[in-house]
Amino acid sequence: MENLLELKNIKLIYHSPKSETLAIDDLSFSIKAGDFVSIVGPSGCGKTTILSLVASLMKPTSGEIIYGAKDKSIAPGYMFQRDNLFEWLNIWKNVSLGLSFKHRKTKENVAYAKNLVEKYGLKDFMKHYPSELSGGMRQRVALIRTLSLRPELLLLDEPFSALDYQTRLAVQDDVFNIIKSEKKTAILVTHDISEAIAMSNKVIVLSSRPAKVKKIFDIDFDPSLTPFERRKQDNFQPLYDLIWGELQCKDIP
Amino acid sequence: MQRYSLDHKRYLTKLRLKNFSCHLARILLLIILVAAWELCARYNVVDPFITSSPSRIVKQLGVMISDGSLFKHTWVTFYETILAFGISTLLGTLVALLLYSIPFVRQVLEPYLIVLNSLPKIALGPLIIVWIGTGTKAIVVMGILICIVITTISMLNGYMSIEKEKLLLMKTIGANKLQTLLKLVIPATLPDFISVLKINVGMSLVGVIMGEYLTSKAGLGYLIVYGGQVFKLDLVMASIFVLCLMAMIMYFVVALLEHYFAKKRS
Repeated sequence: MENLLELKNIKLIYHSPKSETLAIDDLSFSIKAGDFVSIVGPSGCGKTTILSLVASLMKPTSGEIIYGAKDKSIAPGYMFQRDNLFEWLNIWKNVSLGLSFKHRKTKENVAYAKNLVEKYGLKDFMKHYPSELSGGMRQRVALIRTLSLRPELLLLDEPFSALDYQTRLAVQDDVFNIIKSEKKTAILVTHDISEAIAMSNKVIVLSSRPAKVKKIFDIDFDPSLTPFERRKQDNFQPLYDLIWGELQCKDIP
Repeated sequence: MQRYSLDHKRYLTKLRLKNFSCHLARILLLIILVAAWELCARYNVVDPFITSSPSRIVKQLGVMISDGSLFKHTWVTFYETILAFGISTLLGTLVALLLYSIPFVRQVLEPYLIVLNSLPKIALGPLIIVWIGTGTKAIVVMGILICIVITTISMLNGYMSIEKEKLLLMKTIGANKLQTLLKLVIPATLPDFISVLKINVGMSLVGVIMGEYLTSKAGLGYLIVYGGQVFKLDLVMASIFVLCLMAMIMYFVVALLEHYFAKKRS
């Protein structure tokens, strides 16, 4: 299958008045359409920076990001740690916020967004305000808001870390199912190894700063399993131990 | 209606009693103060010529209402205050928006803003009179000067404290600068704007009264200065009383506005 996204020898230097920091050095990986890829790594290694680069919120110092999507005008959808819903807009207005920019408020797009809202159980809440919804529901609204712009690629920046443990498990299933049934490609940045294994078919382990790809694990579960069910599989724990070990061992310079 | 347990009913009664006694104490305090003032003045414990008294204030107000001067002076002060309040809020907010949108200008002007903020604006009084002349214009300018710097600083702080992630979100869903301003920056800082309105109600009144002390032919500030000069303390006290009422009413209107927006949001 063709690559949807390819990062080639990415290098990024952060500048501050007192110093410069080599945040990413010679980072390369590629992502195929339909992939669900997780990026794990020691904290502060630049995971979020990679997403910012892919979303072109930032330019790499050198290297290439090749975006092989059919429609190049559609930017990747970005989901943040917090839902960032606007408290002064109701749910429908939050969902359709992106449509009002760049003249995208076509009949077709509005119908698509409405369909998403109905399909994923938010129809009765369209006129409600974010403060009336639970944390899990709010994160679902945030996902639908991202999806309504029809991105081929979703960038998930620790979207579950602000939720309590029980909600997190439920929302992981929820987000996973929505992404799979909408046939989207996703990159998930997380510090939670079990979350990475439960959700993705590929886990990229990064080294500490400067970030490089240390190892890539292919995760092979029965595609009909939900993230929650995957956690109960026999090969879940060995995978966890493997990735844990990879994260622990010191880099060889 | 939900049915409450006996304990909860007892709790509610206690709460109501507490609120009621608070209100009662407030009213009693006012009555006691006014009565003490009146009695002290009537039995010459204090000199009513210096301290005036509630009954003399009421008499003075009666005279001013019947000759129409009360309405005239109150209107002049009110009109000047509204002008100063409106112009400074609008201009201050616009300047803050401009500084927010152009970081370089903000960086350049920051120290100037700080100096302007700590400068006692009343010191500019003589300059205002020389440059603008006496009368309403000078008074309104005084009021504007008092409010505009603090408006700019408060609103700028509000704009700067918008979460970075929300700004990033707007970028990732394709909003341009103007759209970000209209859909995020302005609605997100509405609470800051309301609190600026609250500050400015008081501040513009301070500015206008100060302006009237400097130069005026009418207005409550003029009455206070005039009354002080000719030792008509009844007139001074009556004017202060009306000023209190006016400040209260204006604050109340802004509080209503705040309540309206708070309700709309939740």
